[in-house]
Amino acid sequence: MDELSNVKFSWPPKFRKWTHSEKNNFKLGMIFLLPWTIGFAIFTAYPMIASFIYSFSIYHSKRPLEWVGLQNYATMLTDDLFWKALWNTIYMVGIGVPLTLFASFLCAVLLNLKVKGQAFYRVIYFLPSIVPTVAGTILWIWLLNPQSGLVNTTLASIGLDGPNWRADPDWAKPALMLLGLWGMGGTIMIYLSGLQDVPTHLIEAAELDGANWWQRLWNITIPMVSPITLFNLITGVIGMFQYFAQAYVFRGGGELGAPLNSTMFYSVYLYQNGFLFLKMGYASAMAWVLFVIILLCTLALLKVSDRFTYYAG
Amino acid sequence: MTNHPVETDIQRSKRLRTRAIRNFFQALVSHSLIIAVGLFFLVPFLWMLLTAFKSDSDVFRTPPRWLPYDNVRVEINGKAYPLYNVKTPEGIKQYAALKIQSGVADFVDPANPEVVIPTELQQGTERVAEAIMEVSFRWQNFPDAMSRGSRPTVGTSFWTYLKNSLIIAFFTIIGTLFSNTPVAYAFARIKFPGRDLLFILVLATMMLPFQVTMIPLYLFFNDTLGWGDSFLPLIVPTFFANAYDVFLLRQFFKTIPEEMCDAARVDGASEWQIFTRIVIPLSTPVLATVTVFTFLYVWNDFTGPLLFLTSPKNFTMALGLQDFQGQHTMLWNQMMAAATIFTVPIVVAFFFAQKTFIQGIKLTGSKE
Repeated sequence: MDELSNVKFSWPPKFRKWTHSEKNNFKLGMIFLLPWTIGFAIFTAYPMIASFIYSFSIYHSKRPLEWVGLQNYATMLTDDLFWKALWNTIYMVGIGVPLTLFASFLCAVLLNLKVKGQAFYRVIYFLPSIVPTVAGTILWIWLLNPQSGLVNTTLASIGLDGPNWRADPDWAKPALMLLGLWGMGGTIMIYLSGLQDVPTHLIEAAELDGANWWQRLWNITIPMVSPITLFNLITGVIGMFQYFAQAYVFRGGGELGAPLNSTMFYSVYLYQNGFLFLKMGYASAMAWVLFVIILLCTLALLKVSDRFTYYAG
Repeated sequence: MTNHPVETDIQRSKRLRTRAIRNFFQALVSHSLIIAVGLFFLVPFLWMLLTAFKSDSDVFRTPPRWLPYDNVRVEINGKAYPLYNVKTPEGIKQYAALKIQSGVADFVDPANPEVVIPTELQQGTERVAEAIMEVSFRWQNFPDAMSRGSRPTVGTSFWTYLKNSLIIAFFTIIGTLFSNTPVAYAFARIKFPGRDLLFILVLATMMLPFQVTMIPLYLFFNDTLGWGDSFLPLIVPTFFANAYDVFLLRQFFKTIPEEMCDAARVDGASEWQIFTRIVIPLSTPVLATVTVFTFLYVWNDFTGPLLFLTSPKNFTMALGLQDFQGQHTMLWNQMMAAATIFTVPIVVAFFFAQKTFIQGIKLTGSKE
């Protein structure tokens, strides 16, 4: 987006008469943009406005909306399950996302080592990430089966007593993180492409100066891929705040959020309110709070990252 | 030239040998690390495939065995019965079990099938009969899983889900390709006032969580348009462009030399002709990327179908598999067979279009 960062917006905007060709191009542009414009109006702008209005109302399926002002937002403050869901989500964002980034980076470093069969290894690391979410989640339900699952039988064979992953509120979230780590191939590939862009002359120069492998990694590679870390961090945080399908499938036959609401994440609770309890107004208010949280997190990360991110060239 | 002390042959060969040894150990450590971590990615995947081939009795065996085992069977009067090693007063004999009920098996000697020997399997602390197993891949799990589905009572099966997923994927790909290309072209090649501002608006929509628009969209499709429980809410919006694909296509279109378009313009070609006759034919790689990623997205999508599809006859593979898991929590071999069938098209697509996959991931992940 290089050219976009050069776009200058003046305020107040300066209006001048468009030239003939500008007018023509504008018309032409609008015709080409038609699919997006219509789509934006119907599938983005209208629902945004509607959901904003819903968030101040109570939705009745057969009667008109009932305006209740800030009541939905006030309810959130005293709704214990809302706070539980927010806490669960923050737990995943705070531990799951950094863990995945760290592990992805290490995997990318491994896959960047010059060894025979490199291409084959890369395919192996990447493959789980294209397994459909539902298939992958069900596979892990099976792997984490307390009696016959591969994970606990393997632990048992080395004398460890594996937890009852899905039934234990303390282990359900770590189990989901494990599932996340298994499918992190996309993040690994993004890191890997970043590692390949690190100029070899820098590494070679450091090598000549006697820097060891660890020093080269710490002083050259990690700073050089810091923009990618920032990208992965932001997309990871945004994605994790919307974590839904895995948690929905992972409960198996149990109720949403089982066991003991330990997998009741923000989006799961939002879904439950909107589509199972039909509290569409409350769910809309939750959606707007989610949007604000995501925006604030993104801005905060961008702000803090200024000091830690190195942009070459 | 600086004065280097001249290296003798012995020193040289010694130096080379040290280096060779060092390289060997470096390679050994690298390979071991890569393989150790690789097992974490590979083993669960293999376990899905191996479980899919296991017989019902083998799935819950503890400790589990890697390869699928099944009973060795003999044919008696046209029917196959499992063979057992049975401890008899005359030593261990191979008998076929005609039926096993409440701990008592009706064994027969395959050589003399007329004489039935009822035997209690558990005599005291001793188990007198042990099933004879052999490595055997149970392919039958796949057709079984496919025809079973989750709700046999309403006449649906995984074949229905597969068909539904394919229909939705097909129309979504068509919609995505047709609607995003002109939009991306306008942002890449037509210089109209306000273009950059609009493009930033397009990118900004990526930031909007689906949860915000989900509820009004649901009510709009279900109540206003009456499209509830149909594929339309999943297909129709894809005919109206989306930020992600517009961005991807625009990045590519910008790399096509401007001079080619200018030359056509001089020859009197209209913008639409330049778009359809020059830019589109040159863009097959990126169109392939968009196709593959759209397919991947639709195939994987769970939330969309969950919101809009309510009756099992309209379920997609993702929804059907989740439903199956909720209904039959014990049929792990068939569940893994269904999961495998669900995964195979994507793995096949990946091996055919590996470059396209990686390219797409990098295009999305790169900062440009």
